[in-house]
Amino acid sequence: MALLKKSSIWIAFLVALLGLPLLFDSILAISILNQMAIGIVFALSYNMLLGQGGMLSFGHAVYFGLGGFLSVHALMLIEYETMVFSILWIPLIGGLFGLLAGIFIGSFSTRKAGTVFAMISLGIGELIAASSLIFSSFFGGEAGISGDRTFGPTFFGFDFAQNIEIYYVAAVWAFIATLFMWLFTQTPAGRMANAVRDNPERAEFIGYSSRKVRFISFCASGMFAGIAGGLFALNYEFITEENLNAATSGRVLLMAYIGGLGYFIGPIIGAVVLTLMNSLLSNYSELWMLYLGIMFLLTVMFLPRGFAGFIMMHQVAWVRGNMKMLIKPYIITGIPALLFTACAIVLIEMSHTDDEVFHYLGLALNPASPITWIVILAIAGGAFYATKRSLIQLNDAWETANAIPKEEEA
Amino acid sequence: MAILSLIDVKKSFGITEIIRGVSLDIVEGEKHAIIGPNGAGKSTLFHLISGRYNVSAGSIHFKEQQIENKPPYEIARMGLARSFQVTNIFQRMSVFENIRCALFWSKGYGYSFWHLLGKQTELNDEAMHVLEQIGLADRAKFPSGELAYAELRALELGVAIASGSELIMLDEPVAGMSHSEAQNAVELIRKITEGKTLIMVEHDMNIVFDVADRISVLVYGEIIATDEPKNIRANSKVQEAYLGEVPSA
Repeated sequence: MALLKKSSIWIAFLVALLGLPLLFDSILAISILNQMAIGIVFALSYNMLLGQGGMLSFGHAVYFGLGGFLSVHALMLIEYETMVFSILWIPLIGGLFGLLAGIFIGSFSTRKAGTVFAMISLGIGELIAASSLIFSSFFGGEAGISGDRTFGPTFFGFDFAQNIEIYYVAAVWAFIATLFMWLFTQTPAGRMANAVRDNPERAEFIGYSSRKVRFISFCASGMFAGIAGGLFALNYEFITEENLNAATSGRVLLMAYIGGLGYFIGPIIGAVVLTLMNSLLSNYSELWMLYLGIMFLLTVMFLPRGFAGFIMMHQVAWVRGNMKMLIKPYIITGIPALLFTACAIVLIEMSHTDDEVFHYLGLALNPASPITWIVILAIAGGAFYATKRSLIQLNDAWETANAIPKEEEA
Repeated sequence: MAILSLIDVKKSFGITEIIRGVSLDIVEGEKHAIIGPNGAGKSTLFHLISGRYNVSAGSIHFKEQQIENKPPYEIARMGLARSFQVTNIFQRMSVFENIRCALFWSKGYGYSFWHLLGKQTELNDEAMHVLEQIGLADRAKFPSGELAYAELRALELGVAIASGSELIMLDEPVAGMSHSEAQNAVELIRKITEGKTLIMVEHDMNIVFDVADRISVLVYGEIIATDEPKNIRANSKVQEAYLGEVPSA
């Protein structure tokens, strides 16, 4: 029973991973789910560096990309029957090469943490991205390289031609990788990574070389990034320079940061949210990158511990049974805040559109008329003011809900 | 028998010589205090012994092995532990985790990524035992960065002594404490260094004369006297170094 209770969250995670395509079975949904599974592994591997090890990397896509390139090469080898094995094992190839790249690059980049590490990671990232365009026989130049996942031996009759089939492969691998990354945090090496993050100097005085501790985390992180790269290769069957350049490195940083670096679940939340924004928002607006940037800024400024940190903030109120005290103030603040957001979006979109009539939330607006602008600005101003005013009572409610009960104080 | 010997140790930063030829033998099992005016180089001496700084000249032997210029982690593994003047812990980890990390190496875990900590009953019991010794058992799950000052100092001590090192070096263990806190801390230090060798830097003379078997006086990078407390008090060179002030007991 104790074991069942302990593993219940893992069972729930597995059920969610495997059950989601039953609820959302459109082509778009399966494609999004695939990206989520890849993103979860990639973002978690990034957090092994930044959240758990205190290493700020601007070049984590290198391990993802190298794992992916090797995986596509492995697909080609299967296709030409140079090697015969099931494509189920492709992510392991990605992981192996992520690990090898981690061992090689980590051997010198983990010497120091902080700025030195960050700069080396940036340099390596640029170096590998530039080389990938030069060594086109391996990397395929700007077009990248592509494979075909349907050639290997079938698995109980599945040839993995369908995206849904590859999703189940990705889901199982994502589950295994997540489990192992969590288990790593429960080992001496994982705990020492936290210790070195907090205080590399003191770690040396309790018998540990900070550098070696960082190196171990770095290699493990490279391996899991490589597994994510292998999943990417299986899903898309092609890979290009874009998948190991700075933009991809930046995206994984965003995922981990927005989700919350301090919590194991943070990067999972971040990967889910960013994948959804990436896939859904881009259908509605060309400016989705702008909204993503604004969201990142707001997270850094107001939720430094990310979405996971925001959820965990409510732990005290939840334990004390005071959550209901917060519902009303949240709604009262939420309504004008949402209205303000809606106004801000329409203002941004109207300044971007060339259409004569701009359709928004069932309204037909005329971007050319100053009256439209004045009205929306006025609503936005009112909503902003209302949000600001309501924050006072939200703050009070927060204090009450988190206050230490009288008897506990004594 | 000397557990630690310093032979003509020198340390310069640029052209400034901070330690100007220190020779010192620490006898196994003794409680040795290093005193001296501010800027005498007491902390620098600690850093040289524990491997944080490299020496400019001279040699240091611990248990008959040369240790000067070795990295701190190698010296720590040999059984030399130290605390810091400014609290220096793993502030985002819990109190329990701090102590457990300090135990890993001596318990033989090394860089293991295959032991699950939840299953290491002996290690976890030992960590709780250390917490009980330093009086922080009820704070086990508390984030260490949010402890009160005296508790932080106790944790600082705990991280230093957890591994059961034979030689323990404490850098101003009671600095900044109130009188009663300092008294408690001294009791704690006595208890946890029982049967071990202790070197400590301390400004509070009451505590120094109370705890130490022998005292060394460091003035401008040189040891001007090493002796038993009563002889130190009577030493005219020492009195002069303290500007005519007799170190009051």
